[in-house]
Amino acid sequence: MSHSEQIRALPEYIALTRARKKIVWPLSIAVVVAYFALILAIAFYPASLGAPIGDGVTSVGIALGLGIIIYCMVITGISVSYANRVIEPLTRAIAQKAGALK
Amino acid sequence: MKIKTLLAFSISLLAAAAWADAAPKPSINTTAIAMFLAFVVVTLGITYWAARRTKTTADFYAAGGGITGFQNGLAIAGDYMSAASFLGIAGLVYTSGFDGLIYAIGFLVGWPLVLLLIAEPLRNLGKYTFADVASFRLQQKPIRILAASGSLVTVIFYLIAQLVGAGKIIEYLFGLQYETAVIGVGILMTLYVTFGGMLATTWVQVIKAVLLLSGASLMAFLVLSQFGFSFEAMFSESVKLHAKGEAIMAPLAQKPDAISAISAISLGMALMFGTAGLPHILMRFFTVRDAVQARRSVFYATGFIGYFYILTFIIGFGAIVLLINNPNYFAADGKLLGGTNMAAIHLSHALGGDILLGFISAVAFATILAVVSGLTLAGSSAISHDLYATLVLKGVRDEKKEMRASRFATICLGIIAVLLGIVFENQNVAFMVGLAFCVAASANFPILLLSMYWRKLTTRGAVLGGALGLLTALVLVVLGPTVWVDVFHHEKAIFPLKNPAIFSVFIAFIGIWLFSILDKSANAKAEEAAFDAQFVRSQTGIGISAAAEH
Repeated sequence: MSHSEQIRALPEYIALTRARKKIVWPLSIAVVVAYFALILAIAFYPASLGAPIGDGVTSVGIALGLGIIIYCMVITGISVSYANRVIEPLTRAIAQKAGALK
Repeated sequence: MKIKTLLAFSISLLAAAAWADAAPKPSINTTAIAMFLAFVVVTLGITYWAARRTKTTADFYAAGGGITGFQNGLAIAGDYMSAASFLGIAGLVYTSGFDGLIYAIGFLVGWPLVLLLIAEPLRNLGKYTFADVASFRLQQKPIRILAASGSLVTVIFYLIAQLVGAGKIIEYLFGLQYETAVIGVGILMTLYVTFGGMLATTWVQVIKAVLLLSGASLMAFLVLSQFGFSFEAMFSESVKLHAKGEAIMAPLAQKPDAISAISAISLGMALMFGTAGLPHILMRFFTVRDAVQARRSVFYATGFIGYFYILTFIIGFGAIVLLINNPNYFAADGKLLGGTNMAAIHLSHALGGDILLGFISAVAFATILAVVSGLTLAGSSAISHDLYATLVLKGVRDEKKEMRASRFATICLGIIAVLLGIVFENQNVAFMVGLAFCVAASANFPILLLSMYWRKLTTRGAVLGGALGLLTALVLVVLGPTVWVDVFHHEKAIFPLKNPAIFSVFIAFIGIWLFSILDKSANAKAEEAAFDAQFVRSQTGIGISAAAEH
């Protein structure tokens, strides 16, 4: 077995790829969907986006737009904190074991 | 000797700047000139310091790998927040409110994707350029030629757009002649990169990012303080004053047709995926030690960039409220002096008089310099590390020759960019940033993404599909309204969309997929077999190249 095959057989490696899959694709799709949903809403429901919230002048669209900026920051925050908590211990364990495998 | 040349250059440059003071235009602001000179002196000092630490290619391309995640986050934000986006988005919000916000969002949404999909495997697999990653298990020569072409097309269009904008802004703010301004910017950026490499470029970016963020924060704070920090109060005052009234709270096109919907999606794709394919941004990830720092870089960068766009949005509304009723900022024909891109600049004057105006003008100038330097470094790395080292040196490592080539490439790029900047003075260059993003999204991004995640990618697939994406993007932009009508003055565009990403990205992915699965060569089998080992490294970082090779 080559070195990389040995690493791939480690339980920590299997856990690592699973942990990554769990976060990477759902969050990527969450960003893509939110953004293109907004673009499509602008194209097809411009009047609803222009409607004011309550009695003020601030429109739904402005709130959604600023919301998406915050949303992007939150998603990177979630992803980094997950990586620090879950991914990092696994990669460290793998690096240690891989050193011993050589 | 090199350092002496650097000093000589700086002195002549300072002389040129002092000459600007004597120029006939009345709008010269001494605070602006003083701050701009201070910035030039400090950054040249940094370049001098960095030049003595830039000895190897690892130093030149990647600052020796010793930048921290936080510093790199600031530097990435510095690379990304161009004067065009600061002045342009504030101007767009000033003219149309909501639509300006949507445009800004497009520039942000790519960042979570860079974090989730690109940053860590990129750092784990590459060394100096994204071509390192794309060619990790594929054939070096064809992949590097393609990746370098994608990088250079992106860099050159982006650079011309920035330089033309720079020339105009400096001409307006400092009273320098357009050509002098472009040449001055060209000389400074060439100096930073040639002598200080990535180390100087990174610190120029960091300083610029701090200046820009503090300047914009101060302006936004001053604007909001006039409304008791209530967005609602600011919006309601803006709606009262703006000629478009309540329409600034809503999308401009109230009855959009299919073309405009497709066009918006297409632009969105170019911005989102293009961000993940910009060579000067990707290159930044090799300046940090490992994947952990790379991840941290994007986290900070996204925070800074998002925060910056919120500030720009507030500044745009501030301009509506504070400028519209003040005739001092308008020409006789009722247009904003210097065009709508100057909204943020005029607002700084309205808020804080000549001092704030001087500060913000100097910040705009620093912003321009920093962005063009980052671009130049990315371009010269593509030439020396991807083309020269692979094609001329044939992969045999030769530090000295590669280093010399990279400096030579920087100087050549500087000259070419300045010449093109002068040639394009009176052309409409607005399409060029869009084109740069479109090429990055249609060539660089698909190759990079699939090389990291798709087992069956082959050299043939990547080269043919990537080239198709690149060519489609270029040809459709030329046939589209921004070049065919605005530049060549034909009556009607052959291709209806301003930004063709929806087609070119699709064609690139389909092309790569098709030519990869049809590739039954022995090469293709070997490349597929090499995927597992590559994936292990991309996920764990075991075997990672340290940028510093001591």
